[in-house]
Amino acid sequence: MDDRWLQQGEAGRILSLRHNEDPTRAMITSRPAEFGDDELVALAQQGQRQAFESLVERYKHKAYRIAFDFTRDREEAKDLSQEAFLNAFRHLGSFDRRAKFYTWFYRILVNLCIDYRRRKTRIRMESLDERTEQGKGTDGIADPAPSADQQAISRQMSERIGAALAALPAKQRTTFLLKNHEGLSIREIAEVMKAAEGTVKSHLHRAVTALKQRLAELT
Amino acid sequence: MAEREDLPRQACARFEEDLILYHYQELSDATRHGIETHLEGCAACRLSLEELRSLLPKTIVADDPPAAFWQSYSNDIHERLSVSGNTTGWREVLLSLFRSWPVPVAATAAIFALAITLTLTRGQWWPRETPPPELGEMLSVTDNLEFLKSMDFFDSIDLLEAMEGQEGPKGETSHRAL
Repeated sequence: MDDRWLQQGEAGRILSLRHNEDPTRAMITSRPAEFGDDELVALAQQGQRQAFESLVERYKHKAYRIAFDFTRDREEAKDLSQEAFLNAFRHLGSFDRRAKFYTWFYRILVNLCIDYRRRKTRIRMESLDERTEQGKGTDGIADPAPSADQQAISRQMSERIGAALAALPAKQRTTFLLKNHEGLSIREIAEVMKAAEGTVKSHLHRAVTALKQRLAELT
Repeated sequence: MAEREDLPRQACARFEEDLILYHYQELSDATRHGIETHLEGCAACRLSLEELRSLLPKTIVADDPPAAFWQSYSNDIHERLSVSGNTTGWREVLLSLFRSWPVPVAATAAIFALAITLTLTRGQWWPRETPPPELGEMLSVTDNLEFLKSMDFFDSIDLLEAMEGQEGPKGETSHRAL
C-alpha cells in the first residue's frame, strides 16, 4: 500500500494532506481501480467504509442484473441488490477471504433472490387460495388483465421467457442465470452454490433442456 | 431449412450435455475435439447446437436503467451503509469465529449432546409433572445465526420447493419437479 501511496504523486499527496484525509482513503476514492478485491475487502474489514463502497461501485451493475433476472422488476432488483450489499457489509467479519469476494457476495445475493421468489410465490398461492374459497378464482393464474402494451411481440416474448425461467427449480434457474446471463465459469458457480462441478453441469443441462422445450418456437 | 425439417430435433443423447458445455466453452481440449469431430458427421447435433446458439442469447432480457437511477442507487447505498455503521458488534465477532464447515458439525454435535443429556437426566432437572422444554425452544437461540442460516439456504431449497409444490392450490399441477 505504501508503494501506491508513494506512486500517487506529490500533487495527490499534498491534496490529501491539505484536506486532512487518511491517505489510503483518499487513494481509494481517487483511484479505486488500482485496488484489487482482496485489498478492498481487507481495508473494509479494518473499518474503511470507503473501501467497501468501492466494492459496491465495482459490483453494483452485476448485482442489479442478477437481481433483475430473478425479479423482473427494477425497484425490487434495486432493493434486493442493495440488501445483499448491506448484508455483506454487516457480516464482512465472517468472510475469511479464502474464497473470492464476488463468489461470497453472489451467494448472499442469490440466496436473497431465491427467498424473495419463494415469498412471492407463497403470497400469490395464498391469494389464489383465498379467491378460490371466495368463489372468485375464475380468472386462472394470477395474471392481471392484458394491457395494450402486452400486444407488442417483444413484450410477449419477454414474458414467455420470464415465465419459462421462473418455472425452473431454484438451483437450475440460478445455475442458468449465472452461466448464461453473467458468464460465470462452472467452477465459479460451484463456489457460489457450494456444489460439485458435476452437479452444476447437471443443473445447467436440465435447465437448458427445459427451456428448449418451453421456448422451442423462438429458435 | 431443409435440414431442419427432415431431421429429428433431438441431439444424440450421449452428446447432449457436452453440446451445452461446448456452447459455453466449458469443455477440455480433448472433449472439445471429440465433439467437433462428431459434429462433422452428425446433422442432428449440428442442428441442436444451432438451436442453442439461437435460443440462449434471447433469454437475456436487457434492462438498462438511466444514469439517474445509478446515481440514486449509489446515494441510497451510501446512506444505508452510513446508517449501518462499520463498527463490529459482538454478534459479528462471535460469527467470525464460525467458519463454513465447523458450524454444521458443531451444531449437530451440540444437538446430539443435548438430546442425550435430556434423555438421560429426564426427571432430575425438572419435576416429572413438568414437561421439559421443547427442543425447538432451545434451538431458538440459533436465531442469532440468521445470516449463516441464510447462507445455507441452497442446501434446503430442494426440500422447500418440494413442500411448496405439495402445498400448491388445488387443481394446480406442480411444475417444480426436481
